[in-house]
Amino acid sequence: MSDQTDLIQGTLDLLILRTIALEPMHGWAIAQRIQQISDELLRVQQGSLYPALHRLEHQGWITAEWGASETNRRARFYSLTKAGRKQLATELSKWERLSAGVNLVLART
Amino acid sequence: MRLWHILRTRTASLLLRRRREAEMREELQQHIERETERLQASGLTPDAARQQALRHFGGVEWAKEQCRDARGTARLDSLGRDTRHALRRLIRDWRFTAAAVSILGLGIGANTAIFSLVNASLFRGQALAEPHRLVDLYQNGSNRGGVDGNSYPAYLDMAARTDVFAGTTAALVPSGVNYLDAGVLRPAVAEHTTASYLSVFGLQPSLGRWFTAAEDVPGAAVVAVLGHEAWRRKFGSAPSVIGRTIRIDSVPVTIVGVGPAGHRATIDLGIVTDFWLPISSLPALGAPPRTLTRRPEEAAFSVKARLRDGVTVEQAQAAMSILGTRLAAEYLQEDPGRGIAVYASSDVRVHPQMDGLLRAVASILLVVVGLVLAIACSNLATLLLVRGTARMKEISVRLALGATRGQLVRHLLTENLMLSAGGCIAGCLLAWWAIRSLAAVDLPMVVDLSLDYRVLAFAVAISLVTGVAFGLAPALKATRVDLVPTLRGDGETRLSENRWLTVKNALVVVQVMVSVLLLGGTSLFLQLLHASRTMRTGFAVDSVAMIETDTRYAGYSAILARQALEEVGRRVAATPGVQSAALTRGLPMDRTGVPVIVEGAKVTAGPDAGSRRATVISAGPGFFDVMAIPILFGRALDERDARDAPRVAVISESMARQYFGGADAASVVGRRFRPEADASAGAWIEVVGVARDTRTSLVDPTPQVFYQSFVQSDRPPTTVVARTSLDAAALVGVMQRELRMVNATLPVVSAKTMERHLEESLIAPKAVATFLGGLGALGLCLAGIGLYAVVAFAVSRRSREIGIRMALGARRQQAVWTVARDVGVLVGVGTSAGMALTLVAILALRAIVVPTPGISIYRPTIDPLAMLTVAAFVAMVGLAAAYVPARRAAMVDPLVALRRD
Repeated sequence: MSDQTDLIQGTLDLLILRTIALEPMHGWAIAQRIQQISDELLRVQQGSLYPALHRLEHQGWITAEWGASETNRRARFYSLTKAGRKQLATELSKWERLSAGVNLVLART
Repeated sequence: MRLWHILRTRTASLLLRRRREAEMREELQQHIERETERLQASGLTPDAARQQALRHFGGVEWAKEQCRDARGTARLDSLGRDTRHALRRLIRDWRFTAAAVSILGLGIGANTAIFSLVNASLFRGQALAEPHRLVDLYQNGSNRGGVDGNSYPAYLDMAARTDVFAGTTAALVPSGVNYLDAGVLRPAVAEHTTASYLSVFGLQPSLGRWFTAAEDVPGAAVVAVLGHEAWRRKFGSAPSVIGRTIRIDSVPVTIVGVGPAGHRATIDLGIVTDFWLPISSLPALGAPPRTLTRRPEEAAFSVKARLRDGVTVEQAQAAMSILGTRLAAEYLQEDPGRGIAVYASSDVRVHPQMDGLLRAVASILLVVVGLVLAIACSNLATLLLVRGTARMKEISVRLALGATRGQLVRHLLTENLMLSAGGCIAGCLLAWWAIRSLAAVDLPMVVDLSLDYRVLAFAVAISLVTGVAFGLAPALKATRVDLVPTLRGDGETRLSENRWLTVKNALVVVQVMVSVLLLGGTSLFLQLLHASRTMRTGFAVDSVAMIETDTRYAGYSAILARQALEEVGRRVAATPGVQSAALTRGLPMDRTGVPVIVEGAKVTAGPDAGSRRATVISAGPGFFDVMAIPILFGRALDERDARDAPRVAVISESMARQYFGGADAASVVGRRFRPEADASAGAWIEVVGVARDTRTSLVDPTPQVFYQSFVQSDRPPTTVVARTSLDAAALVGVMQRELRMVNATLPVVSAKTMERHLEESLIAPKAVATFLGGLGALGLCLAGIGLYAVVAFAVSRRSREIGIRMALGARRQQAVWTVARDVGVLVGVGTSAGMALTLVAILALRAIVVPTPGISIYRPTIDPLAMLTVAAFVAMVGLAAAYVPARRAAMVDPLVALRRD
């Protein structure tokens, strides 16, 4: 497990927003998706996912609704709001600038 | 959109906390189940899968807490927790809570009620357009000692200065009238004024119109504008009232409009004007023709003017000074005056010469109220201090267990704010109740007794400031404790406690001082109340009944009126049980200040001139017999005093003593006096008898009265009084029947037993005395409780010291005595200071100068016995408060006292 990377502060929000941008998802699925797509490199402490979801909902970026899951069980599905899409765009460009900057610094030293 | 989402989720978080909590639990539960299933699918046993899933998840409770935080309800949760905790504490200490809430409630309630009253009657301004352009004009009276005012001709001279004034109006002092509408005669208040009245004030009638200048000419049909309040209360807000003809003082009057809402009278001081009538209608309504002449004694008009644009008060004053000089030269004989004074209307509340008195009365009332509040607050402070000390240990424990200071302060503050809120609610309820019961008293004046929002804000502010100030101070002090000694249990014994000049000692002295002052005040009020209950009236009240009518409504001349009344009197006298009956105009409770001139008395110059006023009662034969007023010297009025006989009068003892300067009242018989207004040779009245004083007023105990035969005074009788050996209440019915029999068109002005009549005439002073007495009693309770609490607290802090003394072998008496001595010194200092303050207050009350003759105010006397009683009471409460805890401390086993926390 030591080759897994802890998430940088604040990036979890970005990952959640990006993940549910495609389709509404419930919490467990979001955690699975992040882990799969990052080839198990990014470790999301599953417990910390929920406070982040609630915070995003509180801020109005995402909205939650109860629905039936693929196994026909009750689940809370999260989807992006309009403001959430805008926020995702801003966060993405921010992230790109940050990683580009960091890469540059690393490349020159 | 985002705002909508935020609002929705946040409202849901707030309102549906329980549901959100359940949802969150379900969501997390689902997650762990799914993870368990996934792991099971990958080959783990169910148990191992569950273990693994939980490990992946991390702390479930921690996540829940984080979620709650994320939703922003954590702060609310802790507030709820604090509130619940505080509520539990307050309920557990219900004795403390009840005491604090009732102390605050009494303080706030009394304050709100009195503030409402004072605010309504003294400080509420009228709504006027451009008030800065309004001025009041007063022609200074040519007779010194009188109140400045204007005669009607002087007003016309002022109104002619249209270069200075855009508009001018005059209004006569309100007068009592009666009006007949729908067959019932009712009393009302009328003001006579000009057609320009409303335009000067910048107001509009709320219905119909004001009367016009064409209607304000002598001989015109009389029209009236109804006061808005009268329209609402007496005419049921009916719009159809416009055009209706009623009869005022028997004269047909057509109502043309309703005055503006909120404008109650020219001088807004409790008396509400029901009818506005043109000044020219005064003679038609029965006023003597001299009312409209230029005479100093007819200067009862108040004049208000609206300045022209750009004209200053100074310019108006300059113009009026010129006019004043001209009038003085031109009317040397009639009424020269002494110049004209111009005041900005905003600087005048009632009258420049009366405002000082009004302010003095108002400030005395507010000072008393302030003292009650001060006592209430210091009581509360003491209670909180006692509680703070008692909880010192609890607080230390909580601090030691890791509570932050902020948490503790927040917690204590919540508790105190809840206390204040409770006090505030109790206070508002009390104020509401007090005002409601005051409104139920049938006062002879209408005071707008409503709790308005400013008053409510005032009460809330008081309670919050009190709560925060006295709640936070002990809270801060309590949390600044040094942990170790307090936990060890000796936090209460510091050597510094023995210093003399401590806050607590000061608190004791101040509390005692204010208590004495309040009790001194209370004794004054109670004196007044006692006087009102035990007043010796000096005339028969039991088994006497009276009926008053107004013969003008039957269209009678003076002679016919007299004959009709005499017929009623004869019929009443013939009724079984009636011992005697008599006719009169005026009863001992009436007060009419007729200026009189006494023959041979010292010159009428100096400040006393014009102050010889007397009440005139026009009585018929047998009056003194029915009313049982003894004649001390000379004779009573009888049939000899006919119309063409020499004019004679019986005067009251006080009038004989004060106006005729006779130490020997008998020598007054045979001397003469006359009304100031009548200078003819035949106006002199000879004194034929002196009657014993009658007392009907608390503030004016020795009235000057003269009784004249109504056939000689040209004032027809209005009232029949009769004494019966049977039930007086039944006699009232008989009298009403007899009056109807003589002439069915004669309306009943009032018909009641003398007892009831006296009772009603005393209702206002009795209400005031009861009110002030109640306030004093309230102060007494608060002062007693507070004093006891302060002293008992101070002594209980020394119980450990007492224990040590006992352990060292002091005798019980000695130990108690040591403490009692210290407290005694404090109580002594406080009592002396309080007595001194009370004396100063009484002297200040006595020094209030009344600028007008005819108005009396209550002058308290210094009653040494009452003062001593008050001092003894306070000293007793103080010493009892010291003795009881000291003795209890001394009874305790020294070992227990030493070991005790």
